[in-house]
Amino acid sequence: MTRLVRAELVKLRTIRLFYGVAAAMVAFGVLTVAANVTAAGRQGNAPLAAHSLPGLVAAPATMLSGAALLLGILGMTGEFRHHTITQTFLTTPDRGRVVAAKLAAYALAGIVVAVLTLAVTTVVATSWMNAKGVSVSVLDGGLGRVLGGTLLAAGLCGLVGVGVGALVRNQVAALVGVLVWAVVIEGLLLSLLNAPSLGKWLPSAAAAALTNPSDGHLSRWAGGLLFAAYGLAFSVVGTRFVIRRDVT
Amino acid sequence: MAVITIDGLTKRFGDVIAVDGLSFEVDQGMVTGFLGPNGAGKTTTLRMLLGLVTPTAGTARIQGRPYRELAAPLRHVGAVLESSSFHPGRTARNHLRVVSIAAGLPRARADEVLAQVGLDQAADRRVGGFSLGMRQRLALATALLGDPEVLVLDEPANGLDPEGIHWLRGFLRHLADQGRTVLVSSHVLAEVAQTVDQVVIIAHGRLVTQSTLAALSARTEQAVRVRTPDAEALRPLLVAEGIQADLAGPDQIVAIGTTTETVGQAAAAAGIVIYEMGAERSNLEEVFLELTGPQGGTS
Repeated sequence: MTRLVRAELVKLRTIRLFYGVAAAMVAFGVLTVAANVTAAGRQGNAPLAAHSLPGLVAAPATMLSGAALLLGILGMTGEFRHHTITQTFLTTPDRGRVVAAKLAAYALAGIVVAVLTLAVTTVVATSWMNAKGVSVSVLDGGLGRVLGGTLLAAGLCGLVGVGVGALVRNQVAALVGVLVWAVVIEGLLLSLLNAPSLGKWLPSAAAAALTNPSDGHLSRWAGGLLFAAYGLAFSVVGTRFVIRRDVT
Repeated sequence: MAVITIDGLTKRFGDVIAVDGLSFEVDQGMVTGFLGPNGAGKTTTLRMLLGLVTPTAGTARIQGRPYRELAAPLRHVGAVLESSSFHPGRTARNHLRVVSIAAGLPRARADEVLAQVGLDQAADRRVGGFSLGMRQRLALATALLGDPEVLVLDEPANGLDPEGIHWLRGFLRHLADQGRTVLVSSHVLAEVAQTVDQVVIIAHGRLVTQSTLAALSARTEQAVRVRTPDAEALRPLLVAEGIQADLAGPDQIVAIGTTTETVGQAAAAAGIVIYEMGAERSNLEEVFLELTGPQGGTS
């Protein structure tokens, strides 16, 4: 199993996609910090204070979840798109193990991109705030929880991406499907059900509980567990599909 | 000993029966041509043999086991299925590295097989920029990674230029000389005729014949082509002698399964002038076409 996870990670490292996504996320992270620092104290925004650090650092959290989801979907559907799944299954006929290795590899990939991005935003945010005379320290309480939640969400999103990819196989359909689900369908479901209290149980709301804790969401732990359960469900169903379908 | 055993193999896609109760065996060390027109079910058969497609009925075994039950499949079986199954952004060496890692093969194998197929100069180039011939070589290199004793190749000559086909023939011969068992599919008999020991011919998903190449050659027929102004008059005379004779033009007859002597005597007896006459032998390709054609399967 270790060698399969290693093979998946080498697959990821030997194409440009991963570096592109990582670089884009780091750049996006620096931009969000810069925008928030510049906007602070103006036009009704709260001025910078010691407790604004976690919010600054974790501003790209939702985007990081999206990036991990993207990597997972592309990692799984790319095998079908480029027909590399044939060689993958010839090498490892036990398809369940292939998907399991991908789940582990892309959870890790999501976390790696998040670690890189958060490391850079943390350094930029603390040094910028200190330069502006707002004394902050990375040891401040609150920061750890935000970082942990963001990393967990990114890892789980990588896993969900692989599960969705295994289920849908078609790259464009999987990407569009996930986007439409998060942006349109969850909202539509909410208004149809006419029960706002149910909304927090839907997948992207559960993920948001990890990255943007607020009153409307579940608690961090409940949201994390629920989202992990969604990820596992997608993966199990997706794996079953992958095992049964012919590779032609 | 049979290395590959196909037994009653059947695959149905919806209403279409792609493979229909196919059975044949391939013995150790044999190079077998797996022949049939496009759509005969060759690819589906090979994909079932390799565990990629689940049969509707029947079994396909390699060394007595279904492919999916082989503990280290790449060490036993190397396969070339389609030339485009690479990520375009990955280099040739990295592609082979990924497969070696997943298969638990030594790191050095990637460079060894690249040299074997003559791709060492292109090892660090992205596959997206490869020509079809180079992709085919890389596919062969991938098949050889585990140094397998069995090779399964699906239309490896497809899309290759004449030079590539020449190279491929030599390479297959070289692999066969090392005692490997090779099953190579093609829709053109001539492509593999120089390389194979035996042929398995299928059409419409069913076995047409399995025979040695020598036995297939024996089925080629002697024909006599005659040019005469009285073709209309000569033809019934030949037919009366039990010879299959067909008009091949206003002044030409092709008589099958006979000799120039017989035709000449028949013409002389009737006082028919002959301008030109010659013996021809139908080639293997014609035998193949006849076997797999619309009236095929009558052997």
